[in-house]
Amino acid sequence: MSTGSGHRPPRTYWRSLEQVRGDSRATEFLHREFPPDASEAPAKLLEDGVSRRSVLAMLGATTSLAGLTGCEIIRRPVEHIVPYVDAPEGMVPGVPLEYATTMPLGNRALGLLMESHDGRPTKVEGNERHPSSGGASSVWAQASILDLYDPDRSKTVRFGDQASSWNEFVAAWTEGDLAPAADGSGLAVLAEPSSSPTMLRLKSALLERYPQARWVTWQPVSDENVDRGVESAAGDHYHALYHLERARVLLSLDSDLLSTEGDSVRNLRGYARSRRAGDNGSPEMLRHYAVDGVHSLTAANADHRLRVQSGRVAAFVARLGHAFAAQGMELPLEGAAAAEDIDDDWVEAVARDLLDHRGAGLIVAGDRQPAEVHAAVYALNSMLGNIGATVTYHQTPDTGTSSDADLAALVAAMNEGTVDRLLVLGANPAYSVPADLDFAAALENTGSSGAVIHVGTHLDETSRFARWHIPLAHYLESWGDARATDGTASVVQPLIEPLWGARSALEVLALAALGEPRDGRDLVRETWSELLGLPLDDGAEAEAPAPAEEAAEAEPEDASEEAEAPPVDPMSLPFPVALSEFEVAWRRVLHDGVQEGSALPAAELTTVAPEDCAAAVQAAGDAAGPVAAGEEYEVVFRSSPALYDGRFANNGWLQELPDPITKLTWDNAALVSPATADALGLENEDLITVTRSERELELPVWKVPGQADHTVTIDLGYGRDFGGRIASTANDEDHTPGANAYLLRTSNALHFGRCALRASGGSYALAQTQDHHSMEGRPIVKEADLDYFEEHPDFATAHSEKPHENSMWDEWTYEDSPQWGMTIDLNACVGCNACVVACQSENNVPIVGKEQVIEGREMHWLRIDRYFSDEGESRGMLRDLVRDLPAEPQTSFQPVPCMQCENAPCEQVCPVAATVHDGEGLNAMVYNRCIGTRYCSNNCPYKVRRFNYFNFTKDTPEVMKLGKNPDVTIRSRGVMEKCTYCVQRISRAKVDAKQDGRPLADGDVVTACQQACPADAIRFGDITDAASGVSEAKASPRNYNLLDDLHTKPRTTYLAKLRHPNRDITPAPPPAEDHGEERAGHGEDAH
Amino acid sequence: MRPPYPVTRLAPGLRLAPLAAMLILLGCRGMSSPFPPIHPNPNMDYQERYDPQEASDFFYDGMAMRQPVAGTVARGQLNVDHRLLFGRDDEGYFLDSSPVPASDEVLARGRDRYAIYCQPCHDERGTGQGILFERAATPTATLHDELRLGYSDGRLYDIITNGSGLMAGYRYPLTVEDRWAIVSYVRELQEERRTMEAERAARQ
Repeated sequence: MSTGSGHRPPRTYWRSLEQVRGDSRATEFLHREFPPDASEAPAKLLEDGVSRRSVLAMLGATTSLAGLTGCEIIRRPVEHIVPYVDAPEGMVPGVPLEYATTMPLGNRALGLLMESHDGRPTKVEGNERHPSSGGASSVWAQASILDLYDPDRSKTVRFGDQASSWNEFVAAWTEGDLAPAADGSGLAVLAEPSSSPTMLRLKSALLERYPQARWVTWQPVSDENVDRGVESAAGDHYHALYHLERARVLLSLDSDLLSTEGDSVRNLRGYARSRRAGDNGSPEMLRHYAVDGVHSLTAANADHRLRVQSGRVAAFVARLGHAFAAQGMELPLEGAAAAEDIDDDWVEAVARDLLDHRGAGLIVAGDRQPAEVHAAVYALNSMLGNIGATVTYHQTPDTGTSSDADLAALVAAMNEGTVDRLLVLGANPAYSVPADLDFAAALENTGSSGAVIHVGTHLDETSRFARWHIPLAHYLESWGDARATDGTASVVQPLIEPLWGARSALEVLALAALGEPRDGRDLVRETWSELLGLPLDDGAEAEAPAPAEEAAEAEPEDASEEAEAPPVDPMSLPFPVALSEFEVAWRRVLHDGVQEGSALPAAELTTVAPEDCAAAVQAAGDAAGPVAAGEEYEVVFRSSPALYDGRFANNGWLQELPDPITKLTWDNAALVSPATADALGLENEDLITVTRSERELELPVWKVPGQADHTVTIDLGYGRDFGGRIASTANDEDHTPGANAYLLRTSNALHFGRCALRASGGSYALAQTQDHHSMEGRPIVKEADLDYFEEHPDFATAHSEKPHENSMWDEWTYEDSPQWGMTIDLNACVGCNACVVACQSENNVPIVGKEQVIEGREMHWLRIDRYFSDEGESRGMLRDLVRDLPAEPQTSFQPVPCMQCENAPCEQVCPVAATVHDGEGLNAMVYNRCIGTRYCSNNCPYKVRRFNYFNFTKDTPEVMKLGKNPDVTIRSRGVMEKCTYCVQRISRAKVDAKQDGRPLADGDVVTACQQACPADAIRFGDITDAASGVSEAKASPRNYNLLDDLHTKPRTTYLAKLRHPNRDITPAPPPAEDHGEERAGHGEDAH
Repeated sequence: MRPPYPVTRLAPGLRLAPLAAMLILLGCRGMSSPFPPIHPNPNMDYQERYDPQEASDFFYDGMAMRQPVAGTVARGQLNVDHRLLFGRDDEGYFLDSSPVPASDEVLARGRDRYAIYCQPCHDERGTGQGILFERAATPTATLHDELRLGYSDGRLYDIITNGSGLMAGYRYPLTVEDRWAIVSYVRELQEERRTMEAERAARQ
């Protein structure tokens, strides 16, 4: 590694292309937080009263406009206190409990700790004992709580168009016309991959009972290619587990391992740990190379990035193999693999770095890449000695890998009419199956002669073809189990009884496999009796009441005995209460959330022979397609970072969550590079038609710097026809659910393929947040290369403007402890958005809808600013850059919550003292004092205040109220709000400490964002306690105040970002002549 | 001088009307009304969320609070020790002595909890002459008769947990540890009383 001296060259930062270009709207957002008509209702609302769409958007998901009569408004509502009749033991009303559970997603599992208020789950947190979670969580886990309380969920068993019941379905299946043939011929089950041991047991039971039955495992986005590639290279079925915390060099090939693929939470943890390692002379910092065509979150975090089309990643692998061979690796490769689109020097440098770090490097290929690439990557990792060190392989049992071939065979059988009972377990194939298979037609064919049984959370595209529809229970209301990738088994523990009597997939499958309806809990316990190796005590289990009930039952029995046999004191009779061994072990699993020691050992794998490796690399090279050029473009289908494959489409939090890179909300778009857009003469929001083999899709264009040229990326999961009011147009023709990319996806191009692009005229408004809440081009993100940092550890503060010494205002003196403060480590943060949703969930933050986002009214208390940057001093206005707009900018992320300034500008201008300072340094909001002048927000240099333009929570459906956090006020119209440092959590921690008679300790208060962060980038605590984690972080030389020269003295501070470039690729810049002019990082725009 | 505008004067009989109206309105103070009070400024007082013990139309039982799902185990509530949890041994007989050793802290905690939860009926000495007995003549057992002195620790614990006769069970407000602390404290009360009586007998 070259560690030559160098200074940090000046960089220019910008947020959006519009800003660079000086587009009027972006400038307006820059100069004016509230656009001119921000105080007005949207034009549409004024035109035709309140349109259905506006209401829908405003309320997230609401049922009706319940009219309030005048009297009800004036009179105080009558409220009743409804206490428990039989209070559960260990539960105090208002004091939340935590339950360990597991969120399954395909064949992955994320261990969670659910917060439950009065028996209702309200907040998702990570379970620190679970290996894939490690105490953190993902965007999807955080948002899954909203799915539980989704008012659009399917609420009843349906037979055709009519409401039916579970009992009728059971009767139809066991003795009615639904019963499958005795040998199961004609019976097919379509299920998603699952790592659930109980699912696996029931699958075996089903196939044993019905030997002719067909089981198809399929999911629209899956790791099938990874599995097939590894299987061909390693000879058996293995799941890869990455140990990024041990890696020093990472090469990601079209992989989004930090966001949408694999164990992203676990990967992110490891990644952040090795990125952090460069600090303070600890082990070497991870260097990350990314090769891809899509500007994914993973690509955005790389130190070096090579843009190649997704179909050319295979060619890159072949080129890399040759580079290894050229540098002395024993790899008998023939011929040359030079390619125009692959930079030779870049590949050589990467190969050298990986060879220098044998056993500490890692190559990861993404789920979209073909099996050949995965086989080659496995072989290369093996030869580099990385297997067993930075990646281990585990034979975790699951119900099978997703198989596109099986799916195609099923469709063929359905069309032939040999399937007469199709049980769809949780999937939505009519929406997501490749378009050429025409699953809808196959469903109709099966439905006409036989029966389709759909088990799903919503009435969706598939349920329309189903004779029977059974509502599927959410994971928070059903018993289940799952295995993490390393094999660690955990239980899915329900937090609440099914809200609408839904059934779990296990219960439906048990009916099919065992021929009788079974209770989900019994099914799981039976499996776990085997897993734990302890006999199930059936007698005790049959009653199996909670201990408290058991004891309570003892009384009446004994009382009756008393009358008959007075001489014997009935209470002195024995009442067996000792738990069986199984019961003790089972309860421990439920309590901990995982079965200790159930992780499987890593497979002992032999090193791949050089010839085999060479063959694999050669095969990868052969799998590469030619470069898309001319009229041909490459289209890439990617799982959405928000909606995944579309299953989260009815989740308002995820729909309104800005994409990490594009910052788009509520829609997907055709993502193209600026160069491609210019070549086609397209601007943002212009509509284009993407054509693939006579299939067309029209959607708006969005330019993404960093996207490979001549490619277009489309997120899957949008454009639903059914599946809820947010997901689809079903109930509202105005609502636009994005474009359905599945319509273009065919079996021969599941992940990427060729397409033609044509401007179709017209445009379509997209709601993006990247220009909102801008900080007026002042130095905000500070970053440096690692070698520069080693020489100039004070780079983050050295050249910033010195604040005024004296304040106009009397400064606060803080005598009491604690004094709260926060640090955000930009070096650890990758911009995954988990904190944004966690904050939304914890603080009852409403969603506002697309129209309102366009107006700049999104309510997220914590936003993540994404900056693109490029070398070169900004020359006056950023506009000058427009001629040579960089295609490959660097990306920086910066989460911005309230800074909780000590000299808070907002407090100084509030005319009604609605925002005040408290003795612990919190900048508090008194909601019901606020009269909505918005002076505070205008005066906030950080733009972290949010205003309720409407009563976004009026008419919240009953069921959604169940999931709100009772500890946080729900704000009404006309009220300003902002991050509170989770003051309700501070209060609870203080009460708990007082009750235990101890002082508050460091770590007692964990804010929602801090808890969710997989990268551990956020520290929070008492800054007067020198030993606290936050004080430690604030002592770092990288610590800096945002806009320090304003002398706001923020309590939230940042730790500057470090990058670790390879000096063979990016030479160290020559030392600056005039040190004074050198700047570590500076603003987006120098005014 | 006459003012330059017409002046309406109340008829003499009505001159006292405003005063009468005020008196009538004042007279309404304290009277009950079938309607809830007037509350013109909503002020976010009524929230679109469920606070503890609130009613909800969503569930058939009208409660927003739910029972935990049967068989689930919350964090920190892994109760698998039947001796501690039920006060019974392996065969199911009551334990003779408490599984929680009676340290000073335990006794202090027991005294504290006893004062909150037991004293209203059993009084501070445990003689069953508490405020409820005094005012409502609720029959309350003394803790110092032959029968109660003969109870094992496990049985006392069971009574605190599940109640006995008119007494309600206290497993809901009291944690397992607190219940055992009360058992230890009751034992101390009994011991104190016994010593006192023995002294009195010796004096006579």
